[in-house]
Amino acid sequence: MRTGNHIESYPRHISLSDNPVVWFWLVALMAAMIVLPAFSGLFVLGLAIRILIAAVGAIGLNLLTGSTGQISLGQSGFLAAGCYTTGLLIADYNWPPELALPMSGIVAAALSFLVGIPSLRLKGLYLAITTLAFSFIITQFLLFAEPITHGPYGVRIEDTVLFGFDLADPTTMYYFCLGILVLVTLGVLNIMRTRVGRAFNAIRDQDIAARAMGINLTTYKLTAFAASSFIVGLAGGLMAFQFRFINVDIFSVTLAIEALAMIIVGGLGSVAGAIIGAAFIILLPEFVGDAIGLLPAGISDVLARGALEIKGLLIGLVIILTLRLEPDGLIGVWRNLKRYWSRWPLSV
Amino acid sequence: MTVLLTVENLTQRFGGLVAVDNVSLDVEEGSIFSLIGPNGAGKTTLFNLVSAIFPPSEGKIMFGERALHKAHTHQLAEFGIGRTFQNLAVFHHATVVQNLLVGLHHQLKANILTAPFFWGRPRDEEIKARRRVEEIIDFLEIEHLRDLPVGQLSYGLQKRVELGRALAIAPRLLLLDEMVSGMNAEETEDIARFILDIRDEFGITVMMVEHDMGVVMDISDRIAVLDRGQLICVGEPGEVSQNPDVINAYLGKK
Repeated sequence: MRTGNHIESYPRHISLSDNPVVWFWLVALMAAMIVLPAFSGLFVLGLAIRILIAAVGAIGLNLLTGSTGQISLGQSGFLAAGCYTTGLLIADYNWPPELALPMSGIVAAALSFLVGIPSLRLKGLYLAITTLAFSFIITQFLLFAEPITHGPYGVRIEDTVLFGFDLADPTTMYYFCLGILVLVTLGVLNIMRTRVGRAFNAIRDQDIAARAMGINLTTYKLTAFAASSFIVGLAGGLMAFQFRFINVDIFSVTLAIEALAMIIVGGLGSVAGAIIGAAFIILLPEFVGDAIGLLPAGISDVLARGALEIKGLLIGLVIILTLRLEPDGLIGVWRNLKRYWSRWPLSV
Repeated sequence: MTVLLTVENLTQRFGGLVAVDNVSLDVEEGSIFSLIGPNGAGKTTLFNLVSAIFPPSEGKIMFGERALHKAHTHQLAEFGIGRTFQNLAVFHHATVVQNLLVGLHHQLKANILTAPFFWGRPRDEEIKARRRVEEIIDFLEIEHLRDLPVGQLSYGLQKRVELGRALAIAPRLLLLDEMVSGMNAEETEDIARFILDIRDEFGITVMMVEHDMGVVMDISDRIAVLDRGQLICVGEPGEVSQNPDVINAYLGKK
């Protein structure tokens, strides 16, 4: 049994993890991720790319909703803004993709002030509705501002070469998304261990006390919106390279609900939770689809026809189960297991 | 003695109710100044005005050169004013260390553009902040609790963490709103000792609202008594306890 955790220097106190076992497994995980394309087929690789992009988006949403406590249903709006920025800049304005991708983050961050400013006065449910309305405004704009956005015809992206790497190739795309995810993860983890991250959490937990501690609510709420939307916009930009033909239909309300499901199931406020949640929500319908395939032919045919409905049902179900059984999500389950293991035989 | 805080003709109305009625008082630097009075006397309102939670209907509050009646709450930390709340306002999910670190907010410089890259200055200032937090933990004798979520601690200890968070601001003036309410005798004694130490060791001026007369009479240098929004008496503990108006306010007329 471990007797305690003894730390002898301040730099170790503020390191991301001072536990060599954690670092070992992280390196092992990274190695596995790096060799994955060598062993997997196109289907698995496509799934992996979807998970990586969803994880980037979920980390962005989590920064706002999980860490700062500002509930957002506007995820699909910000994803759409990022996706169309990259798509249109490349297709219509011949921007190099290297610049178009960061621009999608910047445009989404700029748009976030539209919802960020009302958020200074709105809380909880009212803010959620406002963000939802924002997301409708964005998608309606994309649909009807045909001269700028191609409206219902969608945008086709031909130039997908970044720094000499062609993202139309699934393996290249996979590595690129992995790289972005790693950078975003490190960036957000770092933010959360400085005064900026603490200010976000303080606003979530006790906003009056936060103000008395010298935290300017206006600045930090807008900062949270901008930082979160920048990351979500990047995820949207990645989606442009993933689909290479983009259309407003992708950015439905369901997408926003799925994003919320990812961070709730993974564990609100945790970066690792957002990644695990993204993987879980993307893989869930796949596994259930496989399970349905195992059923007798008559039943599986009926169920396969309602695949989309079943997916919606499942997402609703896992949200309810998470809130009922473990509000801290999968990452909470993991922490409990860890505590049980390290305190055994004294654990309860 | 220099005057640190001046309240001049301060009035606060909520609709028809005059919660604070034309109050003027001075708080001297390095003193422990208590604000007492029956329920509804306007003590907490006065406190909220001093900590700029809302602006007063009339009157001025000067903290040195700074006009608190025009300030925003978030500027107070920078001015050098820390406070605790009547109904605990700690961050329950965060650990003791994380709670105290929030108090250091205005002394740090990281922003959203430097924070994602955790080397150089953001890292150096975090190390310095950790060191400072350890000093406060040491002072408040809560070393063994440092990594526990504050929500798991007893009420008395949570109050102590809140006191530590206000101390982390490195204030010149500390506002304590009913620190010892709901504490047992031992916890109360601990807090009284900490308040005296805060004044004596750090030279921080303390202004407190308190119902526990034992604490008030024992440690205050000066006491102001409010009743229905009006200031009825200011003086040393001995004078105040003999003042007929004060006795009337608390016990009623004979």
